[in-house]
Amino acid sequence: MLASKEMLCFPKFVRLNSTAPAVFINRNPRNLERMRIARKPDGYHLDKPGRKFWHKLILTPTNRTVKAEVVHYINGPVIEAKTSEKALRNQLYSMTDTCAYINLGKVFAQRCLECGITEMHCDIEPGKGGKVEKFLEQVVKGGIQLKEVDVYKKPLPWDQHRPEKPWEVIEE
Amino acid sequence: MNSIRFLCRLNNIQLQQIRLGHRIRGKAPIYCRTIKERIDELNYKDELYTARIDIGFPTEKKNALSAREDRIAKAQKAKSDKNLEKLARNLQLEINMEQSRKDWLQSLGPLHKKQIADHYAIYEHLYGEGFFIPHLDLEVFYDLGDGNCLPVYYGNVVKPAEALQSPIVSYESDGNSLWTLVLTNLDGHLKDNEKEYVHWMVSNIPSNCIEKGDVIFDYLRPFPVKGTGYHRYVFVLYKQDGQLKYDLPKVTSTSLEDRTFQTREWYKKYQDNITPIGLAFFQSDWDKTVRDFFHTTLNMKEPVYEYDFPEPYIRPQEWFPRRKPFNVYMDKYRDPKQINKEYLLRKLKNEHPFRSPEPPLKFPNAHPFPKTMPSWLKVQEQKIRLKWGRINDV
Repeated sequence: MLASKEMLCFPKFVRLNSTAPAVFINRNPRNLERMRIARKPDGYHLDKPGRKFWHKLILTPTNRTVKAEVVHYINGPVIEAKTSEKALRNQLYSMTDTCAYINLGKVFAQRCLECGITEMHCDIEPGKGGKVEKFLEQVVKGGIQLKEVDVYKKPLPWDQHRPEKPWEVIEE
Repeated sequence: MNSIRFLCRLNNIQLQQIRLGHRIRGKAPIYCRTIKERIDELNYKDELYTARIDIGFPTEKKNALSAREDRIAKAQKAKSDKNLEKLARNLQLEINMEQSRKDWLQSLGPLHKKQIADHYAIYEHLYGEGFFIPHLDLEVFYDLGDGNCLPVYYGNVVKPAEALQSPIVSYESDGNSLWTLVLTNLDGHLKDNEKEYVHWMVSNIPSNCIEKGDVIFDYLRPFPVKGTGYHRYVFVLYKQDGQLKYDLPKVTSTSLEDRTFQTREWYKKYQDNITPIGLAFFQSDWDKTVRDFFHTTLNMKEPVYEYDFPEPYIRPQEWFPRRKPFNVYMDKYRDPKQINKEYLLRKLKNEHPFRSPEPPLKFPNAHPFPKTMPSWLKVQEQKIRLKWGRINDV
């Protein structure tokens, strides 16, 4: 259930007169999630909604306001944006109309990018042509991917294929 | 059997296992605890270890009544604005993002920043139990050279190649206050993972002119080691209450021993004179420039690490395994290095140092095997031709 908080590494080649120690620990709690090695809370596949995610997008509309947030499976809400906060309300006509949803999507995507969380699970099924769909459109347009990649599983020696290691893919 | 063992390991969960029927094990669902309750119990930490101390400036109290009146007045103004209504009804109302960000920084920004910094465990690894709310907006930009700037916010990714030169730092300041700016790497220490490396430290900065401050540690570019993933690099701005002289030697070299640092110990020493107020951090992972940095600047071999996955479980070997292909079964119990060596030797056998390699088979399965060949060997050869299985490990 608990993803180990720290990352343990061993050197690939133990070279002669290398001064680096054999074990390196990266304390960054988000590192393993970014490298796709951390565990996801699996085992709830009969539940609806499922819980197999690291970060999840939750949209909560109320009568007065709309709130979008990113929820981490252990840390809870991490990034928030509300139409009733000063940053949005000051420039909106209404806090719940379609324009509010569209602008909320923009601001929310911007905040997620600033926080380095670009991928999140999303199980919202929007109605066609509705406000929620327009919100999600804006979020995707802002550079957020609404799908989380699967956990990398190390292939066993007798397995047929060797999937690419995500951390060895280098962008040019 | 596994579940019983699991239960016994948790000392405060019912130790005696009663089998109530041949279908229900343990207590019935309404009496037993849920998986969530059990996990919470396992993760429980005493208040002694979770209590936190605010080491920053207190939040400014605003007059709630006037804020409310202001809010209502603005809402009424918006509702009576015919132009705004028209734009909203035609779905053309687009807010000004810059203005929105400004409002955010003045209202909820600091709290949101604290929330995300907690998510990245920044305070925990900087100060232990201490934390602060970053009331002052610290703007950090890396100049990319082609007229573009890469800002550092709260966890965005900046590649080492983009952070070769010291960044441009700006913040709001009145004329006569003094500041200290520190950039540390929380994850990069090669020897002791509890420690940090200082990448930049400037003290006694008058107002917001970084150039006029006393540089204690010269700027050092980030160098996340290959294979260790994303490292956090944290800028913290401290407000001083007067001229300060830190008991630290001036470091201009790239010597890693001299740059070993622990923010907690350092802050403990000077906590009466400095208060953290601004925060920005980025994440960085390996790229090609790091290798050059290790070779040319640090003059050492570049360490390369790989994540240590758990070994796969292989059940004890049997004398007469049933329904298992014997060659695959036996290979499981051999030294994998030996197997890889055999594959490598086989590969090298066909390679010629001067001739170009033969083109791969276009239809690997269309080439017949000799009739006398045993079927298990045919399958093995087929796998090698199709590049399945262990051949990929070479």
